[in-house]
Amino acid sequence: MQVVVLLAGVVDPKWRLDRLALRPGAALVDETGLPRRLGPFDEAALETALKLRDADPAVRATAVLVGGPEDDALLRAVSAFRPHRAFRFGGAATSLWDPRAAVRLLGAAVAAAAERPDLVLMGREFGDGDDGTLPPALAEARGWRFCGLAHAVTLAGDGTVALRRMRGPREEILRLRPPVLASVTNDRGNRLRHPLLKHVMLARRAPVEAIAPPPEAGEGAPALALRGIAAVPPPPRGGGACRLLTGPIETQVEELATLLRRWRAVGEG
Amino acid sequence: MRRVCALVPLGDPAIADPFAAVAAAAAVAARGGGQASAILLAREARRGDAALAQAAREGAAEILRAAHPALPEAPQAEHLLAAFAHLLRTEARDGLFILPAGPVGEELAARLALRLDAVPLGRCTDIAWEGRTLLARRPAYGGRAEARLATEATLCLAAMRRPAAAAAPAGGAPAVRAVTLDVALPGDLEPPGVAEPAADAPRRPEGARIVVAGGRGMGGAEGFAQLRELAALLDGAVGASLPAVDAGWAAVAQQVGQSGAFVAPELYLAFGLSGTAQHLAGIGPGTRIVAVNPDPEAEIFRVAELGLVAPWQEVLPRLIGRLRRA
Repeated sequence: MQVVVLLAGVVDPKWRLDRLALRPGAALVDETGLPRRLGPFDEAALETALKLRDADPAVRATAVLVGGPEDDALLRAVSAFRPHRAFRFGGAATSLWDPRAAVRLLGAAVAAAAERPDLVLMGREFGDGDDGTLPPALAEARGWRFCGLAHAVTLAGDGTVALRRMRGPREEILRLRPPVLASVTNDRGNRLRHPLLKHVMLARRAPVEAIAPPPEAGEGAPALALRGIAAVPPPPRGGGACRLLTGPIETQVEELATLLRRWRAVGEG
Repeated sequence: MRRVCALVPLGDPAIADPFAAVAAAAAVAARGGGQASAILLAREARRGDAALAQAAREGAAEILRAAHPALPEAPQAEHLLAAFAHLLRTEARDGLFILPAGPVGEELAARLALRLDAVPLGRCTDIAWEGRTLLARRPAYGGRAEARLATEATLCLAAMRRPAAAAAPAGGAPAVRAVTLDVALPGDLEPPGVAEPAADAPRRPEGARIVVAGGRGMGGAEGFAQLRELAALLDGAVGASLPAVDAGWAAVAQQVGQSGAFVAPELYLAFGLSGTAQHLAGIGPGTRIVAVNPDPEAEIFRVAELGLVAPWQEVLPRLIGRLRRA
């Protein structure tokens, strides 16, 4: 069973994006000086792959970090979790903004990991530029079965992949025959474990495996071009002035309770 | 401006607001001086009667009622894809097609685009034309940035939420056509199993009039138990931030934010929430926020109308006690 987990990384959300802009003359975002880390959905996908590896010795888990040399430190962090193989796929100009081009690139990344993948895992959003388009688009392009927003994935004895997800008000259990692509959402059950310190140290010293995309992965004019990028403040709400309650806590709570009683009365009326 | 058309799958309980697509299409079309159309897809034609009236109210000037008798009662994405792909191949070879934002609509938009050799635009906040160029805006970096994208493609698919301001209804009754589909649907799909819901399964925050939400500052499951108590007293639902779901204090279905549910209650009670852009992106712009946080500098107070600078432990038990006595 070949399990491939695709990872994108995100800019550390604790850092401000004030200087975010396009590189001069290029449709690429300049993230200079912004540290990168695995996003919460990358982490959920990686932990899911590690759980499958732990549960079944027949599983071979390969982690692919899509990005350029600036992501090598991130790849070492991924290697510390000891997947069977971890490599970086892409170059300095890797861009995922055009979904059709991104799908070609990601398809090549999976092919570099496994000739015949059984299960491909991705975070429900792939990197900072994706809002959930890339996982279903990749599945569709490759003709793989797709399950979006899976929060638990196991291998069933009959060769199918069992995936649990919330779909509207109900929790569904899908049993899909490989090849399957699942986008993984965060959940208590797939919170990323901590790597052993000795594995962290080993990963820091080990050489990084990097694979350049084949020329055909970059063919074709972009169908969707990035024209601009800028940090945006949260939309204004409530007139921009918050009334902070003051006085003893009992008084503050009573004022809030009065407000909520009124609210409740209107709803019941 | 090109044709703007909403694609509306009907009868799927996983789609909270299917007509958001019509409202969004009408708003996009109106800004370009045009009118939107809508394709309503259901299993039975009669299911479309009420939907027809609502699509008209939302601003559709032309409506195609499509029925496919072989659609399952609970269709899977593959069924909807086959039906919509057939409709677009036969009814419209170019234009901008908008699906309702949310997991189902966004999956359909992405996969339809790939299937029809179109351009997927993702979950957009705004779409306009500059000559023949389509310009789309969509959130990036967890909602902390906005990307501006451009394409010359003539066939594009996007997902959009209901706009804050509705477009004026189309003048007069919409032109309506009906079609019954017989395109083959995938027949080899095993229906998904449905997990037995737990007796104490939480109410989903979408659609609730009041959402009582907690974040990392709640510190543990005990705080969320109190949030549930408060929500029950207010006939509301509990929401949570991504870190709180990660920690296992709340279910994934309760996650609110850029990467969770989009909620638009009248009141959002935020406990122990710092107010990150990622979380705020999941709260409707018309929602009033009341925040409780011990840090007076917390971002949540920049967007709240009313605030208590205090730890939740000092507020929640007192508040529950008072509301119980009322």
